[in-house]
Amino acid sequence: MFEKRYLASKLTGTLLVAFAIVLAAISGHSYMKMRNPDPGIDRVVPAEGFEHRLLSDWFPALKGTPGDADIYVQEGEEPGGTMLLLGGTHANEPAGFMAAVVMLETAQVKRGRLIIAPFANPMARTHTFPQDAHPQTFGFETTNGTKRTFRFGARITDPVNEWPNPDIYIHPASGQTMAGIERSNLNRAHPGRADGGPTERLAFGYMELIKQEKVDMAIDMHEAAPEYPVVDALVAHENAMELAAMVSMELEFEGVPIRLEPSPKNLRGLNHREWGDNADVLALLMETCNASHGRFRGKTDEALVLTGEDKAYEKSLGLGRLFVPLESYDKRIDERVARHVITAKVLADNLEYVRDGKGITIEGLPSYQDLSEQGLGAFLSE
Amino acid sequence: MILTWIYWAITAFMIILVLRSLYREKSLREQIVAAMVLVPLLLRVLMIK
Repeated sequence: MFEKRYLASKLTGTLLVAFAIVLAAISGHSYMKMRNPDPGIDRVVPAEGFEHRLLSDWFPALKGTPGDADIYVQEGEEPGGTMLLLGGTHANEPAGFMAAVVMLETAQVKRGRLIIAPFANPMARTHTFPQDAHPQTFGFETTNGTKRTFRFGARITDPVNEWPNPDIYIHPASGQTMAGIERSNLNRAHPGRADGGPTERLAFGYMELIKQEKVDMAIDMHEAAPEYPVVDALVAHENAMELAAMVSMELEFEGVPIRLEPSPKNLRGLNHREWGDNADVLALLMETCNASHGRFRGKTDEALVLTGEDKAYEKSLGLGRLFVPLESYDKRIDERVARHVITAKVLADNLEYVRDGKGITIEGLPSYQDLSEQGLGAFLSE
Repeated sequence: MILTWIYWAITAFMIILVLRSLYREKSLREQIVAAMVLVPLLLRVLMIK
């Protein structure tokens, strides 16, 4: 019936244009909420002793740009080593940045120095990826009933900040070719370029921080899809492999089995490769198992982010198609964050064994059991 | 930056063409299609998405 010519007129045209404007306004408002979130969203309450700085303190060209990430530094009374902890390199891997937030809000450094970048790529937090249907935010209830809400972002820098991407990205330091979209992926941009694109400049900022602060151990906290082989894993540069092996054994004894993976030498641009190659730092990356990240998932909402429960993944697990042992399949965000926190803690505890005089002692962190059983909300400030 | 402005100009031009088609169209179905095409173009010309 729409084909009947008399139905179309200047009036229907005007009405449809008005409808298109209303739709654009509603969706535009939704997009802008990610760029200008309500007060309280992504709020962090650093524990006593943390000093707030910006990445531009180490790479001034970032000053005033969207890539100028928040950095928090806490120094213990006793001298020791320096540990850099990144969360949110990929802003769609929530346990990575929530572990950084929990550590930021609870850590008391007694020996050495702890540097935390909870939202390592701020430019990835202002959008969600098209067609992934991810929720824009997710939250936790604290012990007194207040809600802490955080943005669920994307793997790559917002196209508003970095556009257009080439068909093929040539990693500048190695000449390795990758898909064009990887130019906006912080964990393909290391060691970065001072005069590169926004994501490359951000990576360069972290490299400068590592060099200038003489960081002993740098850890990046990630999540991966359950069908990906590198989940519940610790990826280590060869210079950090001895430490990583010790830590994986200790975690096994603690009842937190973790896969140990060597950093591939021919896969360039990743921080566990480039940091270790370009500075005297033990470079490591951690992965937990995130169903909201996976391709088999069904309904993608806040509940999936928080619980990891998805019937397609339950079935895949039963069929033995996942890389997670059936007996340890608990993919609540509380467990995933607990896994990151305990791994970072055990890495810090063992650093002294591979770097004499560079030990780091961090107190106040919730244990694996407490975090996993009581939930994140119990350890977030109000 | 120059590339962004070229993109913006192309998008604005596309909006004009789509609006022109929409008002000249005799079929309501084609008018609806044109209105749907307008939504992402509007978001892009406003540099929102």
